[in-house]
Formats: sequence, structure tokens, C-alpha cells
Amino acid sequence: MHLTQDLELFPEHSVTQLLFSDVRNCAELRKMAVEGQIPGALINPSMVLDPFQTLAAANKAVHLQKNGKMKTRSLYSEIIFSLSPTNNISEAFKRFGISDGDNAVLIVLVHNREDVLDKDDIVSNVDGQQIPADQMSTICDIAKIKKLYKVTPQEEKCGSVLDAVICRMAAKDVV
Amino acid sequence: MAHMEPVNNKPAVSQFLQQAVLIKQGAEARVYRGRFLGKSAIIKERFQKLYRHPALDEKLTRRRTAQEVRSILRCRKAGIDAPVIYFVDYTTNCIFLEEIIDSVTVREHIASAQASGQSVEALYGLADTIGKILAKMHDEDVVHGDLTTSNILLVKGKEGRDGKLVLIDFGLSYISALPEDKGVDMYVLEKAFLSTHPNTEALFERLLKSYTASSKKAPAVIKKLDEVRLRGRKRSMVG
Ligand SMILES: Nc1ncnc2c1ncn2[C@@H]1O[C@H](COP(=O)(O)OP(=O)(O)OP(=O)(O)O)[C@@H](O)[C@H]1O
Ligand SMILES: [Mg+2]
Repeated sequence: MHLTQDLELFPEHSVTQLLFSDVRNCAELRKMAVEGQIPGALINPSMVLDPFQTLAAANKAVHLQKNGKMKTRSLYSEIIFSLSPTNNISEAFKRFGISDGDNAVLIVLVHNREDVLDKDDIVSNVDGQQIPADQMSTICDIAKIKKLYKVTPQEEKCGSVLDAVICRMAAKDVV
Repeated sequence: MAHMEPVNNKPAVSQFLQQAVLIKQGAEARVYRGRFLGKSAIIKERFQKLYRHPALDEKLTRRRTAQEVRSILRCRKAGIDAPVIYFVDYTTNCIFLEEIIDSVTVREHIASAQASGQSVEALYGLADTIGKILAKMHDEDVVHGDLTTSNILLVKGKEGRDGKLVLIDFGLSYISALPEDKGVDMYVLEKAFLSTHPNTEALFERLLKSYTASSKKAPAVIKKLDEVRLRGRKRSMVG
């Protein structure tokens, strides 16, 4: 169900992604995250095309944390911010964070590679249906993603929408 | 993650690169092959030049890294193939790029075609495509700054289908609409092309013809190219 990927650049860390549909308690989950009771980033999966997109965001957030260069207050908010194509923080949270009325959530956890992650504890907090994490492509909103990241039709000739999104995320500090 | 220590003495990227495979050691950059989030990646590390003043060096190195990122994005947005940028580390000036799989440099391709005794005509299609892509790049006002046949990758097409070309190495690139800048870009290519590949004057002519036919703005560039050539010749006559 979940996906775990090691961060090659930070060998002590791994990223685990859990995806849920038919979620009925997003308001409660959001409150728990704000209070630090959920050790992860709660992401709106309609804006995520592929697990690689969130992995790239997590890698960047860990990198900035290690260098003391985060733009937000925590690693988890930095993951959400890193997904955004712009440097507007509140805009990033609005688009990529979850809202109280949402019915799906992607939870991204950064943990020590060796640690046995207490996934059950996290899963039990979600009043919803866990689905395979790589199925985000089936619930994301491609049209909205293309619009937000300003993916051009020409660009799709030389690569996928995911390629375009990854480039925007990686390049946003210099454009 | 409270137990994550915020500062590490040696940058993670430097430690990572010690295990990556060095594929090219250049004057300004080292190029490695490695893995990034499960994908095969090319990592380009721009290192310090000891003879340059450290503060100036840091600024130049950072600018090249940023330019490479900007121009790749600009090209891709216009539908010109360049590697996907996975991640940029501005503290060590490393760029993590998509590895262009099953590719050879145009340099290698032309060299092996020549070595196997192929006629120059067999390479005309390639020259046409290069001309077209460079015209498109210049139409986006991207001046590459280091056009050589090593900085264009050729992905061989499968089962008789046409291959595609991917532009790389944008560290010296910049944005300019001036025909003069684009003319110098083509001049750099011409010099590199003819010195790397002997007896390819006709092939390069073909490339220029395709370039000219591909853009309304090309004739002005070619005019500048002629001027730059003339200047180059005068300079070499003076010695
Ligand atoms: N994305 C890529 N995919 C596959 N091979 C690549 C890629 N990028 C670079 N290479 C290979 O590595 C070589 C060197 O790369 P590149 O031209 O970017 O560096 P460089 O010439 O050392 O840079 P500089 O001119 O700034 O010193 C290329 O000629 C090519 O063979
Ligand atoms: Mg090169």
C-alpha cells in the first residue's frame, strides 16, 4: 500500500508515502498536524501526479533543513512549500496542503531508514480508505496541475507533464 | 523529526559524489553518473577554481549553475529537448539531471560514421536537424555560449524511427535577442565543428542552410556570422 524510498543524498533517511481516499476527517487531521501529532506532511493528492513529485519535494526539504535554509517553520511545511512552483508560501499551502472539506489525503513521512515506522498509528488516525500510494495518478487533477505549473503544450512534446512539474520545482529559486 | 541534526560538517552531496561514477573531469565541472530517488541521473558539479578570487569565483560558479538551470527550463518550455532538472544544490553548485539513456554525443556519432567510411551525405539528415533545433533555440533568445558537437546528444531511434537530439551544457548560456550574439554562437560551433571533424565543410554548410531556412530571424544571424568570420580572419592575419 505505502511506498518507501531511500534518499540517496541523505542515506540515514527514507521517505514513506501513504495515500487515502474517501477521507471524512480532514479537518481533524489538519488540526493534529498543526499540533504536531502527525509526524508528516498532509498533502492534497489532486495536485500530485506521481510519487516522484513528492519525493523530489521531500529531498529538497531535507536538504534545506540540513543547510539551515528552510523558508518555512518545519520540515513538513517545507515539503509542501517545495511542491509549489512559486515562492508564495500561503499560496503553496492553499494549493498543496489539505483543506477541511477535502476527501483525499497523501501523507508524506520522513524517517530514519532503520526506524520501524508506526504506520498503523498513522493509518488509524485517518477515517478513510487507504489505497496504493502509486495510484495518485488516478485521483490527481491533471488540468489543474498543468494550469498551476503553467505547462505549455510545446513542452509536452519533449517530455511528460511530470517532467515539466519536476523542472518547475527544481528551478523555482532562479526564475 | 526532532532528532534530525540541522547542520552537518561535510555536505551530504559531497559525500554522495564520492560513491558516484565520475564520467568527465572538465576544467570547470565534474560530471558524474549516479542514482537520484531511484532514477538514473547525471550530476554536474561546478568546483572552485583556485586561481580565481574566492568571492568572485563563488559568484561566477553560482551564476553558471543558475544559467544552466534557467536555459534548460526555457528550452523545454519551448519544446526543445534538454535534460529534466531533478534537483539543484546551490551550496555545492551541483545540478542533478535526467540521464539521457542510450545516447551518444553528436561528436562521437560523426566520428564513428567517418571512421567507418560512411559518406558525408549520410549525415545530412543529422545536420538538418541540428540546424533546425539551433534556429528554434535562438528564436527563444537562448544563446548557448558553448556550442560544440559534444554538447548535443543523439538518442538513436528504435526500429528505424528517427532519433532525437538533446541539448546539454548550458553553463555559459544567456538570454539575448541580438543577432550578433547568435552569430557568435554559430561561429563558435563552426570553429569547433570543423576542427573536431575534418573535411566536414559541406556538412556544416548543410547545417547552416537548414538553420537559415528554419527561422525568419536567421538571415540576420548569418549576416553577423559572416562579419565575425571576417573579423576572425583579420585578427589571425595580424597575428
Ligand atoms: N543528461 C545527460 N545524459 C547523458 N549524458 C550526459 C548528460 N549530461 C552530460 N552527459 C555526458 O557528460 C559529458 C559532459 O557533460 P557537460 O557537457 O554538461 O559537461 P562539461 O563539458 O564538463 O561542462 P563545462 O563545459 O561547463 O565544463 C557530455 O559530453 C555527455 O557525454
Ligand atoms: Mg560539454
